[in-house]
Amino acid sequence: MLLHSLRARIALVFVVLMLVAQAAAYLVINSVIVKNAHRGAEEQLTVAERVFGQVLRGNSEQLTQAASVAAADYGFRQAVATHDSKTVVSALENHGDRIHADIVMLVDLDGKLIADSHDAGHEGSEFPFPNLIRTVARKGDASSFGMIGGRAYQLVAVPVKAPITIAWVVMGFVIDDALAREMSTLTSLDVSFLTFDGDGNRGVLASSLPEVQRASLSDQGPLADAGFVTRVVRLHSEGRTVAVLLERSLNEALEPYRRLQSALLLITILGVIVSAIGSVLTARSVTRPIAALAQFSKRIGQGDYAEPIEIRQHDEIGQLAQAFNQMQEGIQEREHRITELAYMDRLTGLPNRALFSDRLQQAIASAQRGDTPLAVMMMDLDRFKYVNDTLGHPIGDMLLCEVAQRLRSVLQRQTDTVARLGGDEFAVLLPADDLDGACLIATRMLRALEQPIMIEGQLVDVGASIGIVTFPDNGTDMNVLLRRADIAMYVAKRSNLGFALYDEKHDQNSAERLSLMSELRQAVEHDQLTLYYQPKVDLATHRVKYVEALVRWDHPTRGFVAPDQFIPFAEQTGYIKAISRWVADKAIAQCAEWHAHGIDLAVSVNVSARELIQSTLPETFQALLDKHDVAPERIWIEITESAIMDDPNHAIETLDRLHAMGIRLSIDDFGTGYSSLSYLKRMPVDELKIDKSFVIGMTHHKDDETIVRSTIDLGHNMGLKVVAEGVEDEALMQRLKALRCDLAQGYHLSRPLPPAKLELWLKGWEVQRTLTPAHAEPDRRPIPDGSQGVLSFQGSS
Amino acid sequence: MRIHKKKPTAMRFLYFFLAAFALMATLAHAASLRVQVVDQAGAPVQDAIVYAVPVSGKPPATKPLPAVIDQIKRRFVPMVSAVQTGASVTFPNKDNIEHDVYSFSPAKRFELNLYHGIPANPVIFDKPGLVVMGCNIHDTMVAYLLIVDTPYFAKTDANGAATIGNLPVDAYKVVTWHFRLTDPNAQPTQKIAVNADSAAKFELQLKAAE
Repeated sequence: MLLHSLRARIALVFVVLMLVAQAAAYLVINSVIVKNAHRGAEEQLTVAERVFGQVLRGNSEQLTQAASVAAADYGFRQAVATHDSKTVVSALENHGDRIHADIVMLVDLDGKLIADSHDAGHEGSEFPFPNLIRTVARKGDASSFGMIGGRAYQLVAVPVKAPITIAWVVMGFVIDDALAREMSTLTSLDVSFLTFDGDGNRGVLASSLPEVQRASLSDQGPLADAGFVTRVVRLHSEGRTVAVLLERSLNEALEPYRRLQSALLLITILGVIVSAIGSVLTARSVTRPIAALAQFSKRIGQGDYAEPIEIRQHDEIGQLAQAFNQMQEGIQEREHRITELAYMDRLTGLPNRALFSDRLQQAIASAQRGDTPLAVMMMDLDRFKYVNDTLGHPIGDMLLCEVAQRLRSVLQRQTDTVARLGGDEFAVLLPADDLDGACLIATRMLRALEQPIMIEGQLVDVGASIGIVTFPDNGTDMNVLLRRADIAMYVAKRSNLGFALYDEKHDQNSAERLSLMSELRQAVEHDQLTLYYQPKVDLATHRVKYVEALVRWDHPTRGFVAPDQFIPFAEQTGYIKAISRWVADKAIAQCAEWHAHGIDLAVSVNVSARELIQSTLPETFQALLDKHDVAPERIWIEITESAIMDDPNHAIETLDRLHAMGIRLSIDDFGTGYSSLSYLKRMPVDELKIDKSFVIGMTHHKDDETIVRSTIDLGHNMGLKVVAEGVEDEALMQRLKALRCDLAQGYHLSRPLPPAKLELWLKGWEVQRTLTPAHAEPDRRPIPDGSQGVLSFQGSS
Repeated sequence: MRIHKKKPTAMRFLYFFLAAFALMATLAHAASLRVQVVDQAGAPVQDAIVYAVPVSGKPPATKPLPAVIDQIKRRFVPMVSAVQTGASVTFPNKDNIEHDVYSFSPAKRFELNLYHGIPANPVIFDKPGLVVMGCNIHDTMVAYLLIVDTPYFAKTDANGAATIGNLPVDAYKVVTWHFRLTDPNAQPTQKIAVNADSAAKFELQLKAAE
């Protein structure tokens, strides 16, 4: 809106003020003018009225004079005295004509009309204006106005003295338009003679007005239009009232003032325009620099500190501009410092992660453009945690500083960046090196760190592990490169290589795997997963009473996906729960079905560490058991050692509950994880499964056999069954049998099979078993199952 | 005032008769009538003409006495006069300017054109009535002359008193006239039987003096 702009507001205020002032002045002056005009007109009217009165008086005096002269004429007197009416009338006419009287009458001393020059025939009648006669008798002369025959006359009466008054002569001068006009000219007013009858109606006798206005006058409306000032003067009259209407047109009176008014209006308008322009200009001169400053501030706000603002004024605005400039410099400086802080690692003075990322991003972009090599290295200090814990954090910090120092000394090229990402993690950006160059530098870095570091009298020995990646071979995205460098670094750390190059096979988390995740979901929902079952053979009786359920993924495009490809992944993402539930559901259902068909098999299901600490696991299983109406003793749960060791207390709690339900538990991959024998004695397990690495190794390594033997004894002594996994040949089986292992599981016996095939195998096995005596070598040839892609399985997962 | 009578031959008998009467009257009782005239306010009225006419209606046949009305200092002197019918009146102009004496009264219309001194011929007023005279060039000059059919008349003085002498004993109609009578046609009359010296009083309704 207009009013938000300061310029508009200033201009508006000015203009409004000026307008108000001018308008007030105009109104005042105008009203004064109009009032003056009115007053002038009124005064004029008053004066004119007086003039008119005077003129009328003068007129009547003149007429009286003339009438007196006429009446004093001897001949006239003689004629009147002789009473010869015809003579009298002629004398009247004659003498009347002399003075231009329109009507002459002779009245006797009794007030009776003797003669009338105007209208013969009513001699002897009463003279219609007795007051006139009375006045003239009293005063010697009289004048009045009167109506005779519908016309108005100015009447004068004088005595006829011969030598004493013998009669009165009355002379009448008609009131006509000529008189009105004459009066009008004399007085500069519009003169109208009016008559009022008894009802108050008025008639126009004569007027100086033009026809139109005269006509409106005779309508009984208002005397005059609004633009007129009027006076009504009653004339001394006898009989019907005769009055004079004096009018003054205000327009005419105002005419000279009109010019004044229009001049005033013009001045006012000009004044307003000038003030408007002036105020706009003033406003602009104020707001323009302000706008410039606002613009400047905006620029600063956007981070553009380049140019200072240029304002040449020396007034307050100029001071403001100066202040702004100083502010800009200050901001610029502070921003610089902050940037420095933001991008610098406080402790070591090296660039921090943020700066490193920026530079890496830029380097990637320029390498892309220029098709130049680029290498990134991730470095981790070995045993740093140890130093920190034993010698304390301050020493650790100093150590880091020294490390940084040494690294800096190695990487002296301007373009190379060594940054501290945090903790004991460092990163190096080599925007001009290929793999070989990077390896060279890595070697130098390691050598630099080989020397022990002296900190506060302590000699500290740290090593480092470096992971190297190159662009674009190891990725084109910054995050990918960094991750892969990280992986390579861990490889180096684990294998104590010093530095390692990235290799895809180390990467458990390839992008391929990510897509695998969503596909896995689909697989569960669309039943692409299947359960295969691997039988466990009782080494004593050769019976098969147990099977292990193993999940297998039949990917539509990839084909068979090994469980070790997706199970760990699922475990990491938590999706394992869904998978396990599916597996449990399917396995229990299968168990129920077999039982319904008379096949008495217990099914064992693998459970992950995650689920073990999840407290709803027992309920889940219970629900499934109820659903399929399977006795809990038919279901076994296999858990790995390490799974338990993740959170032993919770795990044991869950296991106790499961065991309480009747489900039986077995420890998988025994011997490979961080097992704690103290926990082992607390766990409600029923079975141990010896990891296949020991079993297979039994063939060539005495130690493995020792381990197997010991484990079997341990298990037996604790009242547990022992299963040997990975039984791949007959010799192993015999050996295990000799060691009194309870059950055997492996390819030699059977690969994991789909339910139908398993049933077939069972039948075959049963036949074999019954046919073959216990000590003899049974034909252990596995029955070809005809299934494809069997090689992808390696027993239990 | 002495009444002058004419001597027409036709009237000789009448003259003789009248003289005889007069003698008789004088031999008999010739009384005088004293009349007091006041106006409506009771103030004495000057210049009122009082005249007595016998009831029987026959005035004596005496010769009317002449009268003189001077013009002195632009005034008629006397302003009011009375003559018997047939009297002749002269109008001597005693001013050093000319006067033009005129009258339009029906009793006598006459004009003496501008003159000095005494006009050659007197004016004879042979009709009873009032003659009002004026000067044509001097509007303010007015004279009243009452012509009566009787020799018995008098004019009141400043006290409003007039005496008609030598009145034969008779019953008379006494009439008073003044030029300021409110009603100019009024004739205030009183019937008085004059046996001896009598008195009469008239109260007149007069207009205010100008």
